[in-house]
Amino acid sequence: MDYWCIRLRKKPSRGGEVSMTLTTVELDNVDLKFPRSSGLLSSIKSIFGKKKEGFTALQNINLKVNSGEVIGVIGRNGSGKSTLLRVIAGIYPTDEGTCKVRGEISLLSGLGTGFSRHFTGRENAILYGSLLGHSIQTMENYMPEIIDFSELGEFIDQPLRTYSAGMKARLGLAVASAIKPEILLVDEVLGVGDPNFREKSMDRILSMVEDAGTVVIVSHSFALMKRICSRMVLIDKGKIVEEGDCDLVISAYYDLYPKKV
Amino acid sequence: MSSSDSVNEPLRIVGKKRNSPLSIIYQIRDLKQNSQILKLLTDKEIANKYRKSMLGILWSIIEPVLLAITYYFLFAILRGNSDKMYSVWILLGVIIWGCFSRTLQGTVTSLSNNSSMIQTVFFPRIIFPCVNMLSNIRLTILSCVVIIPIMLIAELPFTIHLIWVFVAISMAGLLGFGFGLIFAPLNCSNRDMEHLFRFVTRAGFFLSPVMWTIDMALEKGWGELTLFNPMAVPLTLVRDGVSGNPPSIELAWIGYSFTFLVVSWIIGAYVFERNQAEAVKYL
Repeated sequence: MDYWCIRLRKKPSRGGEVSMTLTTVELDNVDLKFPRSSGLLSSIKSIFGKKKEGFTALQNINLKVNSGEVIGVIGRNGSGKSTLLRVIAGIYPTDEGTCKVRGEISLLSGLGTGFSRHFTGRENAILYGSLLGHSIQTMENYMPEIIDFSELGEFIDQPLRTYSAGMKARLGLAVASAIKPEILLVDEVLGVGDPNFREKSMDRILSMVEDAGTVVIVSHSFALMKRICSRMVLIDKGKIVEEGDCDLVISAYYDLYPKKV
Repeated sequence: MSSSDSVNEPLRIVGKKRNSPLSIIYQIRDLKQNSQILKLLTDKEIANKYRKSMLGILWSIIEPVLLAITYYFLFAILRGNSDKMYSVWILLGVIIWGCFSRTLQGTVTSLSNNSSMIQTVFFPRIIFPCVNMLSNIRLTILSCVVIIPIMLIAELPFTIHLIWVFVAISMAGLLGFGFGLIFAPLNCSNRDMEHLFRFVTRAGFFLSPVMWTIDMALEKGWGELTLFNPMAVPLTLVRDGVSGNPPSIELAWIGYSFTFLVVSWIIGAYVFERNQAEAVKYL
């Protein structure tokens, strides 16, 4: 039932030509606060009702992402980009507003998919798939494809603690591309791979989008994002300050944080 | 990609906070729906515990065997205790208390020790403490293999009352689980909890009938008082079961311990569900 428009390597204007889009991520007035560390007594009080004071990580976030879109999220360190992805993934609850999603979500974070450093790459892959609701047998069937794409070879049966950051990222993306989630959230993963793998990763991400998936990417590599994103979002101090065409958002970023000569 | 499925699927709200006194029902439903993950993670937990060990899981049997020899040497030979079975009762107490204390400490630290998994993927977080409890119960049952040769040597009868051994292990695990759930979210913001419970389990070891029996306490006149400790029931049941006798404790006290277990689990489930989502922000 691939009856919606597929956007590929183009940067379509928002809304526009899509004949039938399906919203996969919808954030509506989302606020998120991080609690401040405090003493034992106030922690005990908060357990039984009294909410602790905190600092705002996301404020009044409104964002709608459709199937077949690659959205890039940019902003300075600590602006709330990774927090936004974790809200979409359901890891952090919203304090105000709602976050709605449609379909399976997979979050690839910069630290890799590693759950346990002591488990092998294969075990981690099977475990991750199982947590997303895939049977062990299905994951076993995906393994040749995962090994092939990640180029890990015999390292797939070595403990994750022996992996480099790049190897972890490769394994993470290989697993995600095998299980093909409807929503793929990528947090600074592409930056750690070698140029060859980065190219391969981008191709894979785009092919996932072709299958009507949704991809949200957080990265500081603007050039890379310009190539694959259909739209971009600039976050500053937990608020969306600009949204739209990649060039527009990147120029807004440099207006906000001028390059130092 | 199951695109046709996702078309039919409505938008679902993520990151909802649960705040229901009936959280225990949601938790049981979540655990049932995720039984495959539960089994997989329990297997991994056990494998991880004995990784890089030549004897592996056999250690869960070797350890109580060595303990049995030590207690026999200490109590039967060195102290010349008149009750030949005394060292066996101590061993059973240590095994059951070990199940309770490991489950309690593991439950309290279940969120704080799994931060990498929690921050990568969302799935019901009750699975973490449950995996810890199930792996402890499984290893404790395995440890109880040591009871068979002891019973043969001591010429104890193999009766239906051996079922109480399993009841005792399950009660010890569930008591540690339910009580620990209350403090698991708190341990994310204040690690004082895990230090506190390390002390609690050590102090409880001496205050509970582990190194002594309820009969010994009754002789001294404070036996009834010790039964207010919910762990007194499983610690006594296991000894009754191995000696081939029906429970020596009044049914009312067994009911008390069981009620304590259920109530602490209901409160634990409520506190855990209400606070776990907020607690992970500290990880």
